[in-house]
Amino acid sequence: MTVFDRRGLLATATALLGAELVMPLGRALAAEAVPGFAPSQVQFTPEQRAQVSAICERIIPATDTPGATAAGVPAFIEMMLADWYSSQERDDFLNGLGILEGRSWTQYEKTFPALTAEQQDALLTIALQEHLGGDFFNHCKQMTILGYYTSEIGCRQERVYVPVPGHYDGKYPYAQVKRVFSS
Amino acid sequence: MANYDFDAIVIGSGISGGWAAKELCEKGMKVLMLDRGRMVEHRKDYITEGKGPWQLAYRGNLPPAETDRDFIMAKWGGANLTAQTHYYNNDRLNPIDYENSQPFRWVRPNQVGGKSLIWGRVALRWSRIDFEANKRDGHGSPWPIDYDEIAPWYSYVEKFAGIAGSKEGLPQLPDGEYQPPHPMNVAELWVKDRLEKAVPGRKLISTRTANMTEDKPEQGRSRCQDRNMCARGCSFGAYFSTQSATLPAARKTNNLTLMSDQVVTNLEYDPKTKRVTGVRVVDANTHQAHIYRSRIVFLCASAMSSTQILLNSRLPGNDRSFADSSGMLGRYIMDHAFRASFWGTVSDPALEPFIAYGRRPNGVYIPRFRNLNGQDADADFVRGYGMQGAAGRGPAGAAGFGAAMKEAMRAYGPWTIRFTAFGECLPYKDNTLSLNPNKLDRFGVPLAVFNVTFRDNEQKMMRDACIQGEAMMKAAGLTGVGSINEEHVPGDAIHEMGGACMGEDPRSSVVNRWSQAHDASNLFVTDGSQMASTSCVNPSMTFMALTARAADYAVKQVKAGAI
Repeated sequence: MTVFDRRGLLATATALLGAELVMPLGRALAAEAVPGFAPSQVQFTPEQRAQVSAICERIIPATDTPGATAAGVPAFIEMMLADWYSSQERDDFLNGLGILEGRSWTQYEKTFPALTAEQQDALLTIALQEHLGGDFFNHCKQMTILGYYTSEIGCRQERVYVPVPGHYDGKYPYAQVKRVFSS
Repeated sequence: MANYDFDAIVIGSGISGGWAAKELCEKGMKVLMLDRGRMVEHRKDYITEGKGPWQLAYRGNLPPAETDRDFIMAKWGGANLTAQTHYYNNDRLNPIDYENSQPFRWVRPNQVGGKSLIWGRVALRWSRIDFEANKRDGHGSPWPIDYDEIAPWYSYVEKFAGIAGSKEGLPQLPDGEYQPPHPMNVAELWVKDRLEKAVPGRKLISTRTANMTEDKPEQGRSRCQDRNMCARGCSFGAYFSTQSATLPAARKTNNLTLMSDQVVTNLEYDPKTKRVTGVRVVDANTHQAHIYRSRIVFLCASAMSSTQILLNSRLPGNDRSFADSSGMLGRYIMDHAFRASFWGTVSDPALEPFIAYGRRPNGVYIPRFRNLNGQDADADFVRGYGMQGAAGRGPAGAAGFGAAMKEAMRAYGPWTIRFTAFGECLPYKDNTLSLNPNKLDRFGVPLAVFNVTFRDNEQKMMRDACIQGEAMMKAAGLTGVGSINEEHVPGDAIHEMGGACMGEDPRSSVVNRWSQAHDASNLFVTDGSQMASTSCVNPSMTFMALTARAADYAVKQVKAGAI
């Protein structure tokens, strides 16, 4: 491999996510990882799975293209917890999920998935700004972004996928595509 | 008269072995080519080619538990990527050993075609000063050949392999037989223009690469389609590999027998005639041993493997290798130092409207500029380094979450450019590969023991690369300039060389100017193990040229009845 091959993905993903990568993703990316979604063991209860789905969908909602749940991001996150997170990191994540769910009950007397989109966004904003459950929001955001933009929907509908470009144009006007080419 | 199974046996089927088989077959010899790895047929066995990220196991990446279990060294070469994991050696099943706990990352392939399927494809010539370096500064064994000797052979292999590059007229990076270069992008051209004006003598060029920009219909190969999935195997045959280029040529002669899954353990030797009399293999699946006999043997198993095989080829009744009368076998193990990087951002708004279409298989290159005419006054090291890099724009990051973030991520971030230096490693006699007679692998071969370190000259050189790199980026007008000098672990660059080094004097080298063993006239060692120094440029074209040249010589010697 060229150095460019070896370093390309890490550089791209770091640019995508910002410099402050959460630890397991940092490890995954240092290993040039773009993990898939086939968890080696079940991580979530049905309730937790519904909560994670709702969170993902608010982070990358359906707009003119499908959102995170349609792209299978919840299963991707479950795989990441199973195969990339350490047991401590996994516990921290599930603990953060519990704290968010607890806040949902104290504030709205409902489980997070049952809230309106506006209520969910309000809670996620609190999680982001007040570091509810430590770094929980960052973990959710970064895993959602990675899972979404490596999914078929993310690559082919949200982004533009060209399997066989046929040539290279290093001065291609962005205005002609107004999207990101997926790799 | 000896009874031969074949005229020639070629051990290994990578870049060097493929060339040896092609040349020997085309010259009319009946050839057996052996590889320890499994069979991979062109096109048919490129099982991940063309798949999107969502179609790859784990979205393309092996989980840490499996990587750490099976690919503890190979992960440094990309075995952790599930698109190509199947092309790498399993380090748990085929371990190595260390002396003094000095780490070495030996990244090995696991198939016919060897590393030619997964190489970086950078295709550069060594220069006159590279071949003169050992003689000039007194390190290692002086090269018995010069640039003029090898130049026609570079031309010969370049024309066949299909190399894309620009002619630059640089003495430190000689021009070759090139197809048109791959284009640079708008940011690279921006940096090139400003760098070459701001710092006279510096050049930024399209990296010369074995990805073609023109078709080769006579070989059934098409030009590069800019997918950048090379390391999965390319059905277009757009890059040079054994499968795409040398193997079809060898097969076309009907002179080739190719056997996969054959682990060569050692060579049999007759001290009376000073000839190799047999090649002993163990079948990787059945563990059956067999000895094949031929008039000549080309050892092309990779630098470290060829050295290991030679070390394990003992004189009868002796624990010393027949090829080690010089005492130099297993010495001068080298690799490029390559963990010094620098970068910058191109902030010119004129570039803002543009992105890149397509995924180019190469990047850009800054040829060596240090110690070219004698020793630079401000350099505290000898020899030099080249720099490989590329400019690109990643997708923009975005704050917050939700529809606004998703929309913002449809834009691109700034153009950035990043380079990594490849530094020449000096030949040190006590950087060694030896055998551990007390630890045998599953085929009965003593484990290779590495005791290889980078030293003061390499460390100083890499520090200088960061300083010079940052200075160049600033001089060219880039912003956000930075550099990092990480730990340099030998083997990491996958440019391992040495172990059976070439030289005129049989008392201080293992092979002669024809890559022919001093101790066995019918044995040619034509891969990276014969290298007496490393230059700072990528070595594969030199392995090709030396192999084709040795094959030409060997067949002439056979025809003359000399061997």
